[in-house]
Amino acid sequence: MRRTFTIAAVAALTLSGAAACSSDSSGGGSKSKTITVAYQKFGAFIQMDEQMKKVKAAYEAAHTGYTVKLLPIEASENDYYTKLSLMNRSPSTAPDVMYEDTFLVNTDIQAGFLAPIDQYLSSWPDWSQFSDTAKTAAKALDGKTYGVPMGTDTRALWYNKDLFAKAGLTVPWQPKSWQDVLTAARTIKAKLPGVTPLNIYSGKAAGEGATMQGFEMLLYGTNNQLYDDSAKKWVASSPGFLDSLNVIKTVFGDKLGPDQQDALNPNFGTSVSNELLPGGKLAIDLDGSWLSGAWLTGGAKPWPQWSTVLGQAAMPTQNGQAPGSTSMSGGWVLSVGAHAKDKKAAFDYVSLSLNKDNAQAYDIAASQIAERADVAADPAYLKSNPSLKFFTDLVQVTHFRPAYAEYPHVSDAIQVAMEAVMTGQLTPEKAAAAYSDQLKAAVGPDKVASGS
Amino acid sequence: MTSVTPLQAPAVRELDVAPRRGSGNRLARFAPLAPALLLLLIFFAGPMLWSVYTAFTNLALTGSSTVDFVGLDNFTRMAHDASFLNSLKLTLLFVVGSAVIGQNTLGLLIALLLRGRRRLVRSVVTGLVIAAWAVPETVAGFCWYAFLYRTGTLNALLSHFGIEQNWLYTTPMLAVILANVWRGTAFSMLVYSAALSEVPPDLTEAAAMDGASGWQRLRHITLPLIRRAIVSNLMLITLQTLASFGLIFVMTGGGPGTASQTTPLYMYQQSFKFYQLGYGTAMALVLLIIGALFSVIYLRLIRLED
Amino acid sequence: MADLTVARRGTSRTVTYLVLAIIAVVFLVPFLWLVIASVQPGAALSAHLDWKFTTANFRAVLTPDTIFRPVLNSVIISGGTALVTVLVAVLAAYPLSRYQSRFGRSFLYIILFATGLPITAIMVPVYAMYSRINLIDSIPGTIAFMSAASLPFAAWMMKNFMDGVPISLEEAAWTDGAGWFQSLHRIVLPLMIPGLTVVFIFTFVLQWGNFFVPFILLLSPEKQPASVTIYTFFSQYGQVAYGQLAAFSILYTLPVVVFYSALSRVLGGAFSLTGAVKG
Repeated sequence: MRRTFTIAAVAALTLSGAAACSSDSSGGGSKSKTITVAYQKFGAFIQMDEQMKKVKAAYEAAHTGYTVKLLPIEASENDYYTKLSLMNRSPSTAPDVMYEDTFLVNTDIQAGFLAPIDQYLSSWPDWSQFSDTAKTAAKALDGKTYGVPMGTDTRALWYNKDLFAKAGLTVPWQPKSWQDVLTAARTIKAKLPGVTPLNIYSGKAAGEGATMQGFEMLLYGTNNQLYDDSAKKWVASSPGFLDSLNVIKTVFGDKLGPDQQDALNPNFGTSVSNELLPGGKLAIDLDGSWLSGAWLTGGAKPWPQWSTVLGQAAMPTQNGQAPGSTSMSGGWVLSVGAHAKDKKAAFDYVSLSLNKDNAQAYDIAASQIAERADVAADPAYLKSNPSLKFFTDLVQVTHFRPAYAEYPHVSDAIQVAMEAVMTGQLTPEKAAAAYSDQLKAAVGPDKVASGS
Repeated sequence: MTSVTPLQAPAVRELDVAPRRGSGNRLARFAPLAPALLLLLIFFAGPMLWSVYTAFTNLALTGSSTVDFVGLDNFTRMAHDASFLNSLKLTLLFVVGSAVIGQNTLGLLIALLLRGRRRLVRSVVTGLVIAAWAVPETVAGFCWYAFLYRTGTLNALLSHFGIEQNWLYTTPMLAVILANVWRGTAFSMLVYSAALSEVPPDLTEAAAMDGASGWQRLRHITLPLIRRAIVSNLMLITLQTLASFGLIFVMTGGGPGTASQTTPLYMYQQSFKFYQLGYGTAMALVLLIIGALFSVIYLRLIRLED
Repeated sequence: MADLTVARRGTSRTVTYLVLAIIAVVFLVPFLWLVIASVQPGAALSAHLDWKFTTANFRAVLTPDTIFRPVLNSVIISGGTALVTVLVAVLAAYPLSRYQSRFGRSFLYIILFATGLPITAIMVPVYAMYSRINLIDSIPGTIAFMSAASLPFAAWMMKNFMDGVPISLEEAAWTDGAGWFQSLHRIVLPLMIPGLTVVFIFTFVLQWGNFFVPFILLLSPEKQPASVTIYTFFSQYGQVAYGQLAAFSILYTLPVVVFYSALSRVLGGAFSLTGAVKG
C-alpha cells in the first residue's frame, strides 16, 4: 500500500510541477506590461518575423517597462488560422496583437476575438495616409474598424514578351476584353506548339488561388458579383457566373491551358513560378503581384531577366465595360485582441509597426502593395521592384472578397464548379446549378438571391 | 521449455490460485492501475466527453460567439450529405484494402517466406520493411508523392514502356492504399513472425511426410494455429487505419476533387477549414462507432474459434 | 534452427528468393527520391538524376534553428512519452495480467476502441482544458497527453508480454510474503526486458512523427519538434524547396532508424515480438 501512495504522490507532484513550471511560460496576458504578438512565419515567408523583431526592439526602447513577447506561428495558411482561433478562444492565450487576413476579419469579430480601434485611429495622424479602400479593409459590418492594413496584393496577366514577339503579337499587350485574351491564346497555340498559351488556376487542388486568381478575376469583370451588399445576400448563378465558367470550359476544352493533370496538382503553383515561366513554357499567366518575389536574388528561383522578359497587362472586363479592367485584392491587417489588458499599449505597437519607415520596409521585403499613400509614392519603394507601379495602380479597380464566415465554404463550392467544368464532368449550366444548391446548403436558403 | 507468444490468451489466473496474505482487498489489487487511470481520465475521458457533447451542438471554431444545442441535426445532416457518404465509402475501401487485405497478407507472406532464411537475407528484408514503417508519416507521404508524380520515379521507370501519368490523379485511392501498405506492413510482419515461431515444427514435418503440399500444410495446420494472432492483428491495424489522416493528406489532400477524401479528411475540412466543429465532431463519433463495430466483430471471431 | 514447414529445395527456394528480392526492391524504391533529391542542386519533385552532386542542401539545413533544436525537441518529447508510457503501462498491465476479471478485460477493450477516434476530433477541448490549467506551451504537458494517447496500445502489448511470464514464478515469492510491487520489480520485470524495449520503441517511433498534438499544444517556436518544423520548407504561395526538404527529411528520419537498430542489436539480433524464452 505504501508503494501505491508513493506512486500516486509522484504522479501528482509531476503534474503540479508541470503546471507550475509552465505557468510562467504560457501566454503573457496575465502581466499587463507584456504585449503578446502573434503572426505567421512559414517557409520562405520570414519577412513578418524579421519586421516584428525590429519593431519589438524599437517599442521596448520607446516604452520603458513594457516587454514584447513574439509568438511566430510556423504553419501554412489554414493551420495558422486554426491555431490563431484556438489561441483566441482562451483568454489566457489570446494575443494582444495579431496578424489577420482581411477576409477573416468579420468572422473573428463575430466570434468576439477583435477589439475596435476607432478611438485610437482618430488620434493617429498617420491614418490619413491610408487610402479610402485601405481604410475599409478591416471595417466590419457594424461600421467600426478593427485593424490597420499592412499591405495588399493585386492580380493581373503576366505575359512573356519574347514568346509574344515570336508569335507575331504586338507588345506591349493590353487586351480590352475576354475575347482579346482568348484570341491571343489561340494565336500562341497555333504558332508555338510546345508552349502552354494561358494559365488560369482552377479546381480544388489550387485552393483559394483558383477562386481568387482564377474565378473571381473573371466574375468581377462581369456585371455580377458573389455577394449583394445592399440585399445582404449571396448571389447564385448569375449570367456572369455562367459566363465565367464558360471561359474555364473554353480554356481547358480547347486546350488553351495547362494539361488537366498538371493543373489539378496541388503544387502546380510552384511549377508555374519556378519552371514554366522562367523556362519560357508558359506564355500568359493570370497570377498575382507577389510572383516576382520568387525571382529576386534570395528567392526560391532567382531569375534576373524576369523584368525584361515578362510584361504585365491588366485583366480586362468581360466586354471592356467600365472601368475597363479589374483585379482582386487580399491583404493582411494588424489587429488588437478583444482580451488585451492594455489596448492602448497594443495599439501603440500596431502604429509603430506601420509607421512610414516600417511599413515601407515590410512592403518591399514581402513584395506587398503599399496601403499608405506616402509609401506608394516613395521612390525607394517604386525602385525596389519594376512591376510595383503597375500593380499598385490596379488598386483603383480592385475588389475584395465578401468577408463573411461562410466564405470558405462558398469558395470551396466555386472550386468544385470550376473543376467539374474543366474536367468536362458537367456542363457550365449544370455546374452553376450545382453551385446554387451548394450555396444554399452552405449559407442557408434565405441568404441566397438569384442573380440577374 | 516453450516460449509464449504475447498475443495468445493468458493462462487462466484465478484469484484464489495465488495464496495472498492478509485482507485480499480487491480494490488494492487494482491499485497499480491508478496512474494509468489518472492519465486516461484527465487527458482522455474529459475531452472525449466534451466531444460527445459537442457533436450535438453547432459549435464553430470562429465566426460565432454562441453555441446552441441542436440535438440530432448534425447526424441527420450527415445522412443526407453526399460528400460524407462518399467519404465513408472511401474510408471502408481504404481500411479493407490497405489493412485487412494489404498489410495483413503481405505481412504474413513475408513472415512465412523469411522463416529459415539466412541471417543476411532476413536483416535486409526486415530492415527495409521496418524502415518504411519508422519513417515519419509526413516524410512517407512526400516520398510516395514524389514517387507517383508525373515526372517522378515510377514514371521514370515506366517511361521505358511508354506509360507515363500522374498516378495520384488517375488512381488516387490505389495510390494511397499502396502507400499505406508500404508503411504499415512492418507491424503485421513482426506479429506473424512471432506467432509463426511458436508453431511447433513437428506437426508440419509430420504432415510433410504424409505427403501434404506446402499450401495444404499452410491452410490446415499453420494458419489455424495462429488464428488468435491473426484476429488480434486485424483488430489493431483496423483501428489504426480508420483514423489515418496524415499520409493521405500529404499525398493527395483528398483529391482530385473528393476522390480520396476519407472521413478523417472530410472531418478535418469541416472542422478546421469551414470552422464547423459541431458537425466535424459528430462525424468523429460516427467513425468511433464504426471502429467499435469492427472490433466487436473481430472479438466475436476469437470467441467463436474457442 | 531448421524449419521444415515448407519444402525449401530447388525451384521453390529460387522462387522464394525471387519474391523476397522483389519485395525488397519495392520497399526500397520510394526512398530513392529522398536520397537523390537531397544531393541535387535546385531539386524539383522529379527524381531526374543530374550527375552533379552537391552538399548545399544539407549545409543549408544543418543549422541549430533548422535541425538541431527541433530534433532535440523531438527526442525529448518522443523519449519522454515513451518513458512515461512504458512506466504507466507496466503498472497497469500487472493487475490486468495477473488477475482474471471481467472489469480488467473490458477496460482494455474499451480503451482500445477509443484509439479509433481521430486525434483531430479532441484537440479543441484538449486545448481549452490545457489553457485553463495553464499547461499550454509546456513540454511536460504535451508529454502527458501523448502518453495518455499511447497508453491503450502500450498497455495491451505490455499485458500480453506479461502473460508470457508464468505466474508460478511469483508464487514462491508470495508465500514468502512479498507484495505485488516487489514481485513485479524483482521477478517479472527482469524477464520482460525484451517486452519493455519493444513497447518503448513502438511508442517512440509512433510519436516521432506526431504533428498535430505538438502543433496545437505548444506555442513557442523553440519548443516545436521536427515533425512540425518540417513544414517550414513550404511557403505562403505554395512554393516548396524540395532539395532542402529531402535533406531535412533524411536527417529527421535518421535518429529513429539508428535508435531502432541499436536497440534491436541490444535485444540480440532480429527484432521480434516473441515473448521471453525460458529454459
